Amino acid sequence: MRRLILALPALAPLMLGANAPSATSTLKGVYSDEQAQAGAQLYATRCAMCHGRQLEGTYDTPGLQSRFIASWNKVPLSELYDYLGRAMPQFAPGSLKPDETARILAYLLKANAQPAGAQPLPADSAALRRILLEPVSAKAVPKTK
Amino acid sequence: MARYSQYGNSLVERRTMLRGSLGAAALVGLQACASATRLAQTSAAPPPPAPGKTASLVPIRVTPDQLIDLKCCLRPLRAAGPNLGNEMVRDTLVIHNYGHGGSGWSLSWGSADVAIGKALTALPKEIAVIGCGIIGLTTAVLAQQYGLKVTIYSRDTIQRSRSFRASGSFTPGSRIALAEPAGPAFGDLWEQMARFSWKAFRTCLGLPGKPVEFADNYALSDTPPQRRVWTPNPAITDSYATKGVPLQHSEFAHLDERIRDIVPQSVALSDEENPFNVAYATRTSQMHFNFSSYAHMLLTEFFGRGGQYVMRDFATPAQFADLKEKVVIHCTGYAARDLMKDTTVIPVRGQTGWLVPQPEANYGVRYKNVILLSKADGVVVQSNISNPDMGDMLGVGNSMELANRADTEAALKIIAPIFAPPVRRAGA
Repeated sequence: MRRLILALPALAPLMLGANAPSATSTLKGVYSDEQAQAGAQLYATRCAMCHGRQLEGTYDTPGLQSRFIASWNKVPLSELYDYLGRAMPQFAPGSLKPDETARILAYLLKANAQPAGAQPLPADSAALRRILLEPVSAKAVPKTK
Repeated sequence: MARYSQYGNSLVERRTMLRGSLGAAALVGLQACASATRLAQTSAAPPPPAPGKTASLVPIRVTPDQLIDLKCCLRPLRAAGPNLGNEMVRDTLVIHNYGHGGSGWSLSWGSADVAIGKALTALPKEIAVIGCGIIGLTTAVLAQQYGLKVTIYSRDTIQRSRSFRASGSFTPGSRIALAEPAGPAFGDLWEQMARFSWKAFRTCLGLPGKPVEFADNYALSDTPPQRRVWTPNPAITDSYATKGVPLQHSEFAHLDERIRDIVPQSVALSDEENPFNVAYATRTSQMHFNFSSYAHMLLTEFFGRGGQYVMRDFATPAQFADLKEKVVIHCTGYAARDLMKDTTVIPVRGQTGWLVPQPEANYGVRYKNVILLSKADGVVVQSNISNPDMGDMLGVGNSMELANRADTEAALKIIAPIFAPPVRRAGA
């Protein structure tokens, strides 16, 4: 299933014609800074107790940077959005409202060096289906110490 | 000595009991312990010791003829803490993972996790790891666990690396950074790596060969133990910032308090519990690594998962880009000082002596700045007798990597008296 979706972005213009919305990437600026800031506050109260204040995770709980984002590479953002909405937080799954989930997702993108854009991320699984998650490669990051 | 007079009677009882119930072998090790005392007080026919528990501590043989090895290594203290940064060398992404001071073993898994996380953002299928000390080999194995194909490029395997010339205890805060250059954010990263590593080491407990185990460590003193407080010396006005090397203990980052909740703390022993020929003793449990079996464990997993090892050296980092792998994790430890021209890596010399393995004496002691720890591959001897007031400054800036036998022999001489029968027994 994932393979099929993977193939879509390249073929989309040919297959679907000019009128269909083409796939885009998280690298194009798909959330707003304001939304990510609100997400950070939500993260601190709903997620940080397990995933760490700085998303670092633990030996037992996944961190939400680098390896995490690589694991979700080329997956439509809707899948992560739906997962967060239905399975997180672990102690109260399904307790996040759609706009809260979108804010947290925006914060996760920001925390993974994804660029912000003008528009907030929609709290809409169907709309998020055309946004593919792509990590910002460390190759693109200037020398760090 | 007056404080011992009250024990005369109970020691007679104890001796009688051990001779009767446990026999001559136990008498050899009649260094006393709490359980023996309790048995003596409760009944004439005590039960045998529980499996895995010793009835008493066997004295460690510390005569110079027991010395089978001397090792010396340079801890790669990096002022700002380990380099976990990244850079491009032509078309190759290089993630650094070096400069762990005296904490390389202890932080190996957590540091590997951070470095591999960065590498994974480039979505590699295969990576190269440069260096095969404890950081390189652990990084290689963890990367395999994360699904990557790994080739290690290194001059030597771990057995001949500086890592194998360490002492091998869990000391995640040992000479890991200088507080000022590392900055306030470093503490969080350190804690993340220390906690991750602790959990990873826990998964190695109880394995055949005991790659990781706990042992009781006794801190002994002739005077009541006091927690040493290190205050900055106002007479020293220079610092790392002006001289490029730290000049006093207080410049170092001291972070161990942050993981106090998982690391056993020391407890004072009562006179009855103190088996040594010294007035005061505290006991703590410490995790340590047995080099031989630990290396075997990691190498077995590495090759078992299809890892490749290529013996080679590197003269410049430009050569990293000649490798077929386009994502490289660089783990050369102290060698990075020259290879990367990173002069913020400061050598901190450490020497260990190794006595014949004495598995029956499964503990460690510290007395007058001499440290012994009985490990699978020998009893490690460390000392800080020449400059006991230097603290973390001991060995800083010293890149002499040859061992000095006289130092270790002097240390053995200092610690030998604690294994003599306790003074209090002479009058019993």
